[in-house]
Amino acid sequence: MPQDLAEVYRTTYRALVRFLYRKVWDAERAEDLAQEAFARALIHKPESARGWLFIVAANMARDDARRAARERRHLTLLTAEPQDSRSATDEALEVESDRARVQAALDELSPRDREVLLLWDSGLSYEEIAAQTGLARGAIGTTLSRARRRLVQAYEAGKAGEHVARG
Amino acid sequence: MSHVDDGTLHAYLDGELAPAEAQGVGAHIAQCPACRARVEEERALITRAGELLALAAPPERELPPFRAGDVRPLKRLWWQVRLPLAWAATVVLALGIGSYLGSGSRAVTDRSVAEPLADRSRELVAADTPARLMPYRTAAEPRVAKRAAAPPATPAPAPIPQRVADAVVPRADTATARAYVETGAESEARVSERNRLEDVRDLWKTESAISIDSARRVLGTDPLVVPGVPIEAIYRGRHIGYSAVVIVEQALDSSTMIQVINARSAPLALGEVVVTGAPAPASRADSTGALERAGGARAQVASSLGAKPNARLMFEETRNRPLRRVGNLEIHISGPLPSDSLQRLLRLVQPVKP
Repeated sequence: MPQDLAEVYRTTYRALVRFLYRKVWDAERAEDLAQEAFARALIHKPESARGWLFIVAANMARDDARRAARERRHLTLLTAEPQDSRSATDEALEVESDRARVQAALDELSPRDREVLLLWDSGLSYEEIAAQTGLARGAIGTTLSRARRRLVQAYEAGKAGEHVARG
Repeated sequence: MSHVDDGTLHAYLDGELAPAEAQGVGAHIAQCPACRARVEEERALITRAGELLALAAPPERELPPFRAGDVRPLKRLWWQVRLPLAWAATVVLALGIGSYLGSGSRAVTDRSVAEPLADRSRELVAADTPARLMPYRTAAEPRVAKRAAAPPATPAPAPIPQRVADAVVPRADTATARAYVETGAESEARVSERNRLEDVRDLWKTESAISIDSARRVLGTDPLVVPGVPIEAIYRGRHIGYSAVVIVEQALDSSTMIQVINARSAPLALGEVVVTGAPAPASRADSTGALERAGGARAQVASSLGAKPNARLMFEETRNRPLRRVGNLEIHISGPLPSDSLQRLLRLVQPVKP
């Protein structure tokens, strides 16, 4: 009996958007992809919708990232001029730089550690994460502990590095 | 019991240990000060990691509706939608392979279509309405001038359109092609064409005529048009499922108008998938087939995530209507031409030149 997708949608949609956002780093795109994942779920009617959605979303984000990288190469040629950001408020800048620091810190994680961390943060259980990543269930705790430690360390190191650079 | 390793500790704190194991860990922590201290450290680490991830979250938005409050019919409809879609996927696959195998010869046909078409529109513009505005000049402009200077070939409508019709409809469908050729002469046909134009405008809820610059703003990119064919008007439209619609009307000749519909997809609202229901498999095969046959578009669709799922194509009006996807734009062409010809025109569209 497939899970009731409407219920899964209600409980999982936001988590799925968050998960995708941390991969594509574009809120609009993340929403698009999340909605497409649900639309596909409507068609495929997977047995375990939640896990399935995250697998599909991870695949879509990976393909999307490849394409985005191609497009960026073109764009960098056009946007050599630095953008004027003075209009943004300090607060917005602060939020943005925090986000950028976390993004940079996540980038320093190994792909496997990052995936496990993001899936956990999206509300998946160890069981579901194991099924999705192919790791043994017993290895999830270890992977998570390592991922969390590295994330915090990388974030603090990045912050310290900025202060040194400024001072 | 020996000290608890990091992994077990995190699993313990995450509430992911089996009850018996969790009990063992709890007992050990109770009598081991070193592990108790570590529990606090790891708990703080978990909290901190969670906080950092929260910093990297997209802005909270309202949950888009998922057929609010009506779940039971949804289930039933899934069932109805599922089979035709599976069907269509098979057909599309088959068509995809077919068009791939056939693509070599088609490239040649393409050129022969593009040239006479563009030539013809220039001839007609130069010959019968010299004063007509041609605001969107193409690189081929000088050639138009030359033609106009030379005594224009008698603008006998019959032979030239016949040539075009031959090129546009290379095989099959000659009856339809002839019908098209005759539209120039018969006012009755013109009336029905006007009705058809209005149908299209109605379908896309055309609002007002806009400038090319507004069209660019609305779409966020250059609208696509058939190059070398004068633009008569640009309209803005609306349609469910699209965040922006721009309709460009182009005069193929003095009596034949086509519409190039540039539609940017909005994020798919799930309600639409469910509500619309599935059309007959045959018609779906047709519209997706057109998509597949649109040269170049095939590869894009395959590689593009932006390509919405099949359900996206289920709008009734895409039946039998050529469709091409360029970037995040869906391009449709309508006009009083056989669908073969429309498909060929569809392959010629390019971003409008400034």
